[in-house]
Amino acid sequence: MTDNPLSDPQGWVDSHGDLLYRFALVRVCDRDIAEELVQDTLLAALQAKERFAGQSSERTWMVGILKHKMIDYFRRTTREPIQSSDQSGEDTRDDGVFVADGHWKPGPTAPSGWPDHPDSLLERKQFWAALTICLEKLPPRTAQVFTLREVDEVEADDICRMVGLTPSNLWVILHRARKQLRQCLDSRYFGQAQGPGMAKS
Amino acid sequence: MSVRRWIMPTCQEMTRLLSDAMDRSLPFHLRIRMQVHLAMCTLCQRYRRQLKLIREMLRHQGNQLNTAWDLHEPSLSPEAKQRLQRALG
Repeated sequence: MTDNPLSDPQGWVDSHGDLLYRFALVRVCDRDIAEELVQDTLLAALQAKERFAGQSSERTWMVGILKHKMIDYFRRTTREPIQSSDQSGEDTRDDGVFVADGHWKPGPTAPSGWPDHPDSLLERKQFWAALTICLEKLPPRTAQVFTLREVDEVEADDICRMVGLTPSNLWVILHRARKQLRQCLDSRYFGQAQGPGMAKS
Repeated sequence: MSVRRWIMPTCQEMTRLLSDAMDRSLPFHLRIRMQVHLAMCTLCQRYRRQLKLIREMLRHQGNQLNTAWDLHEPSLSPEAKQRLQRALG
């Protein structure tokens, strides 16, 4: 065992748990599923530890295992029927944010001025905290294709092949996800009177 | 459709076009119509900036593999850590 470069598995939860959890959570958008994936990953690492070659860091190795676990998870969920809230089709609901002629309805639902970029650590923390909460509100399969696109930069054509959607369905789903997320952030984080006091642009 | 409607998509149409432009390359005439609208509409300019900010933040945070620089959020709860520790034996 002296030539095995891995650290003591007893310390894995403390040294890698949070990072693996965040990596999974931003992609599956569900706390319970993210925790389960971390557990599967650590157990798989434990079983495979004799095979760890030491060519990458312990953490990179574990993230690699986690990626495989996530692909398995996506494969399982892709076989499940799409929920009605995920149904694609033409985008007819506008949630009352537009007036009859298709322009923004004046008032709190129109895009408010956000700072161009959250620069300070506090601003970034607040923005990120709000974003993770808003992500969890997306319907599960919407969240899945959205994070494939936005976090992992998978091309639209490849996503369509992976999850069995037509491009036009995918574009509608991504549009809805962005609209819903932006709206959620606007009211939760940047909304009037409850903003973090950043300079508005 | 009036000439004005053809030249200027509505804000509702713009939200869809701005999203699509992030996933594929739009035909030239649509890009021109978007630019005409954007030049005159502060709210749609904001909408576009905000979608891009969400994307930037997700790409950056979602690919953080070290703990030195990230925001330490969110974290496993102490209960979750205990559960994981037990599972590892």
